[in-house]
Amino acid sequence: MEHIEFRKISKSYGAVEVVPPLDLSIHQGEFIVLVGPSGCGKTTTLRMLAGLEETTSGQILIDGNDVTNKRPGERNCAMVFQNYALYPHMSVRENIGYAMKVHGTPKDEIDKHVDEAAELLGLSDYLERKPRNLSGGQRQRVAIGRAFVRQPQVFLFDEPLSNLDAKLRVEMRSEIKLLQRRLNTTAVYVTHDQVEAMTMADRVVVMRSGVIEQVDAPITLYERPVNRFVASFIGSPSMNFFDARIEAGVLMIGDQRMQLAAKDADRIGDYGNVVFGIRPEHCREAETASHLTFDVEVIEPLGSNTLLLGKIGGQKIMTQVDPRFIAEAGALATVPIDMQAAHFFNPTTEERI
Amino acid sequence: MNDRVKHIFIWPAFLLVLVITLFPLIYALTVSFQTVRIVPPTPARFVGFDNYADILANARFWGAIATTATIVIISVLAQYAIGLSVALALHHNVPGASLFRVTFLLPMFLAPVCVALIAKMIFHPVLGPANEFFSMFGLENLPFLTDPNFAIAVLIAIETWQWTPFVVLLMLAGLQNLPAEVFEAARVDNISAWRRFRDITFPMLLPLSAAVIFIRLIEGFKIIDTVFILTGGGPGTSTETLTLFAYNEGFKKFNIGMTSALSFLFLIVVIVFGTLYLAGARKLTQRYAQ
Ligand SMILES: Nc1ncnc2c1ncn2[C@@H]1O[C@H](COP(=O)(O)OP(=O)(O)O)[C@@H](O)[C@H]1O
Ligand SMILES: [Mg+2]
Repeated sequence: MEHIEFRKISKSYGAVEVVPPLDLSIHQGEFIVLVGPSGCGKTTTLRMLAGLEETTSGQILIDGNDVTNKRPGERNCAMVFQNYALYPHMSVRENIGYAMKVHGTPKDEIDKHVDEAAELLGLSDYLERKPRNLSGGQRQRVAIGRAFVRQPQVFLFDEPLSNLDAKLRVEMRSEIKLLQRRLNTTAVYVTHDQVEAMTMADRVVVMRSGVIEQVDAPITLYERPVNRFVASFIGSPSMNFFDARIEAGVLMIGDQRMQLAAKDADRIGDYGNVVFGIRPEHCREAETASHLTFDVEVIEPLGSNTLLLGKIGGQKIMTQVDPRFIAEAGALATVPIDMQAAHFFNPTTEERI
Repeated sequence: MNDRVKHIFIWPAFLLVLVITLFPLIYALTVSFQTVRIVPPTPARFVGFDNYADILANARFWGAIATTATIVIISVLAQYAIGLSVALALHHNVPGASLFRVTFLLPMFLAPVCVALIAKMIFHPVLGPANEFFSMFGLENLPFLTDPNFAIAVLIAIETWQWTPFVVLLMLAGLQNLPAEVFEAARVDNISAWRRFRDITFPMLLPLSAAVIFIRLIEGFKIIDTVFILTGGGPGTSTETLTLFAYNEGFKKFNIGMTSALSFLFLIVVIVFGTLYLAGARKLTQRYAQ
């Protein structure tokens, strides 16, 4: 059964429509990540679900109940904010137990839950500290603990890891995911970081200017992006795009010719003008490999592989090659292209072909 | 850093402070141990602690302390309670908030003398609007300014009316500086508006509240102009505040030594009240320290 349903919800500030009518269904126990560039309306959407922002139109259902006009407190959600939003004058223990205390839970039961959560999040030694004496990572753990002890129907996260350093972010990512699995609570998670989205989500919602571009499992987004925007947003380093032409099963970029994979040749063998997309990591040998030659401008050795940056007739290209690949900045290089992993987009609609 | 040049910068400032603030204080302290009369002029004579002893033995002094403390403590509490409520209302944008934002602040900009003159008209026992208002309930010609209790109540009301806006202004600034997400987190966690105020807003504003109340206490103790104009300290000396008492000593009896001694006693009274207050406030703010 659908646990959360957005039915044509929209949000306008004055005359500016930030989120045009939007539909989305989220299953029970699912980890959904809203991802998109800054300012695309992810936070606004999440806050409408939390009840912190009124919807301009449409309906929100949680567990089949219309909560559109309910107060935030009546929706049984728990939220984790980017800047922690801890109660600064309360100790860690009080922060985590505060909601339970207000709602009349007996003291020994609160203590039990708080100790349990602290144990799980590695906060046991800090229970009597005030938030200002904690590091950023510890503060966010407290905020997460505060959300988890409430055992809500839905977890809401608004960029909870954005204020943490890269290493901590990777650690916390899996911690949050594990906790959510354990409790099997539906979670809606907002981030602008596609890596975070890909690693944590059961399904990713890619947004642009308030519009949902694609909702799919991470691997599907990577393998079958529905349009050029999703293709460029998902994956790192991001996909290369070239203006090209397909005629008689052959792809032409400038005067270079590449044989289409059999499945594509049958399907779009005479399509005409296209945008050809290839991920840097798919510039590799394969059964159906073609070759592409370009001017190398920069070489970036990363250890496990090397990035070559360059140009083909004014169009930028980045390829990921073996560290032993021989190339020289300022000279030509020829790399293999795995045509099975090629993507094609309509040049005007930018939709996937 | 051990440059000699630094002396060039430090000494002028130090001397200026010395001349402007310390010298008058020290001079006043010396005078307070002497008998000095301006009218008729008599040569200064050292009398030790006589001036202080005289004042401390004077019931009028203790009366003035009681009067001042009553007016200040009650009016500051009222200013804070009303001021915080109004600030909360403005912060949460109750209907008409933008209009009130300006009008609420006006009393603060009036000179206390004007306020007192206006109040004198309003509380006129026969002609004033206050009289007309109470007449509607059958209470005619109340002795607003001629009965000691009424007069003190009127003074408290005026102090409150004039200085609540100050509290509103500062508390509103404080409220608007509180992090919004903290309250959103509480709302999502189904914490009622009252509990949010009691457990979050109020404790987070405590340091500011303590400072605002402190400023108003210290300022309040200097109350003179409104009293001077409205009641002149009367009836009898029942509404005489400390500063008015000092003024009467200095400018009616022209006993400067006595007045200086009184000023220092006044300082001591303020310090005592201030210290007591700060000790209490510290206890409270430490409990909720961040
Ligand atoms: N209170 C507001 N008034 C007007 N515009 C707003 C307000 N809040 C957000 N916006 C606009 O809505 C858009 C989406 O914001 P937001 O949901 O915060 O984006 P995201 O979280 O995806 O970065 C932005 O363009 C932002 O400028
Ligand atoms: Mg955001």
